[in-house]
Amino acid sequence: MQQVVCKLTELQPGELKEIQFGRISLVIGRTGAGELFAFSNRCIHQGAPLSKGKLCGTSAPTDLPGQYSYVKEGEVLRCPWHGREFDVTAGGQMMSDPRRALGRFQIFVAGEDVVVSTLNKPEKGEVADEQK
Amino acid sequence: MEVKQGQITDGLLETGIIDTDIHERVLYPDLVPYLDNPWRRYITDCGWIQEKHLPYTQPTVAGLNRADAALPDGRPAGSDLAFLRSQLLDELNIRYGILTGALDPSPSSMNGWHEMATALASAYNDYQIEHWLEKDSRLYGSVHIAAQDPLAAAREIDRVGPHPKMVQVLLPIDNIVWGDPYYHPIFAAAERNNLVIAMHHNEPAVYFGRFPRYFIEWHTLISTAHMMQVTSFVFNGVFEKFPNLKLLMIEAGFTYVPHLMRKMDQQYRDLRHEVPWIKRLPSEIVREHIRFTTQPMEEFSKAEFEQWLDLLGSEEMVCFSSDYPHWDFDHPVGGFPNMRDSLRQKIFHDNALALYPKLPQDQGRCPRCSRSFASSPNCNQES
Ligand code: FES
Repeated sequence: MQQVVCKLTELQPGELKEIQFGRISLVIGRTGAGELFAFSNRCIHQGAPLSKGKLCGTSAPTDLPGQYSYVKEGEVLRCPWHGREFDVTAGGQMMSDPRRALGRFQIFVAGEDVVVSTLNKPEKGEVADEQK
Repeated sequence: MEVKQGQITDGLLETGIIDTDIHERVLYPDLVPYLDNPWRRYITDCGWIQEKHLPYTQPTVAGLNRADAALPDGRPAGSDLAFLRSQLLDELNIRYGILTGALDPSPSSMNGWHEMATALASAYNDYQIEHWLEKDSRLYGSVHIAAQDPLAAAREIDRVGPHPKMVQVLLPIDNIVWGDPYYHPIFAAAERNNLVIAMHHNEPAVYFGRFPRYFIEWHTLISTAHMMQVTSFVFNGVFEKFPNLKLLMIEAGFTYVPHLMRKMDQQYRDLRHEVPWIKRLPSEIVREHIRFTTQPMEEFSKAEFEQWLDLLGSEEMVCFSSDYPHWDFDHPVGGFPNMRDSLRQKIFHDNALALYPKLPQDQGRCPRCSRSFASSPNCNQES
């Protein structure tokens, strides 16, 4: 299944959007750097609508207790309920437990359109290329 | 797992759900019309606000609330009945919801000026009745008191406790353990008004009277503050003195309880002589008199969840709570493992119904035709 979900101009870097993909609600967005992502809109913890969360950064893992270093601005999707962090640049991995990840969908640009697909194409690298 | 409105009833629970922890949000301006002078003028003229202590209010993306519970016009989460109805009561098919307040102000937590605390509690109760309890048949309320002055608190319980929609007296957990005989007039008043005593933590300083460095430590250790209260109630003989009294411990979950019951039993076997008014095992007292809310739920498999209930020795001690609209809200489907229908019925409905004698005791069935309200929506639940 493949569906045009919006124009690229309607989805600015750093933005999140809820879209209907067939019968499934998805959260789509663009990182601060403009890379597209699409995930199921239901958090894998208790089912919160992720589109109501925040696209933000986070504190980098460190070996030094007390050290805060804010990184990955615009690459971390935080759930609106319990605040779990998902790395949208790493397939929606939960940052506190990378064995778990959000349900992921393909998203790419075709002409001016943003297209979401369940098919295994194009790969993420190609998506980035198309946006250039 | 797609959860749709009514699914809980259609597929899981015919009776609907009883939610034992819903935080309506009340702001000082809401209370002003219900305050006499000088209390009103201290707020309107002098800008009085209650002291707060918690150094961290940042756990998630909207602070201490669910990000999707903030009102579209910018008002704080939990402050609008219509929004709460649609996002919680209708969406999750809540049959009865027990309001527990935002705990801000929490009159019983004020460190001084008990007269102001007493006035605030009364104003809060009057506001709650008029703007929430009498506006939605599903909502039931908590009597707020200034427990530092137990006699004044008992008078307030006698004043508003008889209201048909008041089901409990709410005590915060901060820096007072409430089992002390000094506070027993409160429990006498609750018992004579057929009210449960409910405790919900406010901002207990869980590190020997101080706050830990990080929120994650504080939030992990909230159950220790609840353990102090349960221990205090049991060994101070509250339930021996008030045999019809029930206590609900709100928002520390239930996984700490098996440990505490076992530990109290062991101590009792050794040290009974110090508390000779206690005439049976503490675990028996807990099972008979105390209930615990589910939230905040740890993640369980079905087997783990049942094991924990086995350790409690009862399926009747745990009551569902959502904690709406706070950030650690638990969803009645997404937050729980699969479970037997009979167990689900108890946890999401029957245990709370048994706890609160003032809730309509009709098992979700129309008293006239005996059909479930869920299957025959034309029956009037208020009849
Ligand atoms: S529902 Fe998303 S973190 Fe809990």
